[in-house]
Amino acid sequence: MAQPPTHHRRDTISALTLLAPAMILFGAFILLPLMQTFAWSLYRYEVFGGVKEFVGLDNFAKLAGDEVFGIALINNLKFAVLSVVLQVGMGLVLAALLDRGVRRFKVVYRTIIFAPILVSTAAVGLLWSLILNPSIGPVDDWLGLIGLSAPRNGLLGEPAFAIYGVIFVGAWQYTGFMMVILLAGMQNVPEETYEAARMDGCKGLRAFFHITLPTIRNVIITCCLLTVIGAFKVFDLVYVLTNGGPGNATEVLASYIFRNAFEFGQIGYANALSVVFLAIAFVFGLIQFRMIRR
Amino acid sequence: MKSLAFFPRTRRMAIIMHLFLLGYVAVILFPLSWVVIGALKTNREMFLDPTGLPADPNWGKFIEAWNAGVRDFFINSVVVSGVSVALIVIASALAAYALTRMNFRYSGWVYLLTVLCFAIPVHAVLVPIYGLLSDLHLLNTHLGLILPYAAFGLPFSIILMYSFFYEFPAELEEAGKLDGCGPWRRLWFVVLPLSRPVLISVAIFNLVGVWNEFLLATIIMTSKHMQTLPLGLVSFRDQYGTDWPGTLAAISIGSLPLLVLFVIFQKYFVRSMAGMGK
Repeated sequence: MAQPPTHHRRDTISALTLLAPAMILFGAFILLPLMQTFAWSLYRYEVFGGVKEFVGLDNFAKLAGDEVFGIALINNLKFAVLSVVLQVGMGLVLAALLDRGVRRFKVVYRTIIFAPILVSTAAVGLLWSLILNPSIGPVDDWLGLIGLSAPRNGLLGEPAFAIYGVIFVGAWQYTGFMMVILLAGMQNVPEETYEAARMDGCKGLRAFFHITLPTIRNVIITCCLLTVIGAFKVFDLVYVLTNGGPGNATEVLASYIFRNAFEFGQIGYANALSVVFLAIAFVFGLIQFRMIRR
Repeated sequence: MKSLAFFPRTRRMAIIMHLFLLGYVAVILFPLSWVVIGALKTNREMFLDPTGLPADPNWGKFIEAWNAGVRDFFINSVVVSGVSVALIVIASALAAYALTRMNFRYSGWVYLLTVLCFAIPVHAVLVPIYGLLSDLHLLNTHLGLILPYAAFGLPFSIILMYSFFYEFPAELEEAGKLDGCGPWRRLWFVVLPLSRPVLISVAIFNLVGVWNEFLLATIIMTSKHMQTLPLGLVSFRDQYGTDWPGTLAAISIGSLPLLVLFVIFQKYFVRSMAGMGK
């Protein structure tokens, strides 16, 4: 039945009213700023000295030859790959143990393993920076016990090691989160699937590899995506643990954008970095959306 | 009872599995307890024996840290998180309802726009947001943090609510329609009360995200008395750096609020965070 036109117009007005708060916030804080990011990325725009001139793609050309940008990008990639291995890998092991492994204390284990996600990343960074601090933290003493001597400035002061320390702390915080998502996926695998597999003689760890993993494939992919996106967005951990140092050894894209904009006052260059960042994050974001709406 | 186990159901296997899990739990609990115990020690004890217990536990450090700034950070966090989560839940429910229920020609475009915003990280617009808030004189104000938090929390929340409302049985609303309820009343009296699970989920994961947010807060809240907990704790370290027990006390009590909420509402927290995997 066709609706009378007045009804349709009333619906449109109601819809616009209901959508207004969200649309205004999107416009003011996401879409318009995004336009500005694109525009300013084409300017040589420096806070100190008050320079602001159109330079076309110069910032992007500069970026291609920027060594620190390269370091940051590689650190983000290391972060992404190692975090997937550590967080999703360990998350799977823990989830399997809690789903069809141990029979007692499951809730206690889950609660404790999940807890770090509720401590702010900044606080987690602070606490690990103190534990790894050579003068008051215990880790240096432990290294001594197994016959290793810690670097003079602590593990995080060692350029070759620092980024792995940061990645480890990230895994310490987020593995429990991955475990909870994967566990929920495993608990959704129907009992009949396992029954049928057992009839065919597939049980134990073989069932895990041949039944569980393929069935929760999409959950695993989502976990990997969340981890990779998180790895590219990482900022607070680096800022608190190493502040990008020693030297530029632990610089990541987010900290480099931040530094250029708010320490060096290189607005144009910071926005060019933001455009690159957006290009990377946008692709992963759209894939993630496809997974949610599957 | 689950009929199939991944590992043999022997006593030895059970012990191995529990030992593995206990080892992992120790890796989680050690740093957390080290912080709390460290807060009770003296500076001297920290240096001499980093893992030792305090000879004479000094509980006063917690109160000192609370009064030296943590209270202000806590209040700022409560105001900013409370208002932005409320704003996100309300605005996303309204938007998702409009998109799924109203005969509105541009619904498809609005949804597409939402997805677009979902894929845009805050990192990409840091500088313009700073400029905008500076022009609006909203730097170092609660509202200056609440508005961008709401904007960036909305897309995912709308997408989640959209899927929920999409599957919401239309018959329930038809009854309201026959009784002469307009769309607003149907939303308020029929749809929202029955949507509690998704509203709670949206509220919780936004709360966790906003409560712990750092990057935006760092650029917007530059004056110390406006800082939220995460950056307040960092500036606490920078200010009282040599008073290790004080810093550890600040980290302990600053991290407590969300952990307490988690213990009380554990079921909802786990369900909400696990829902991210959908």
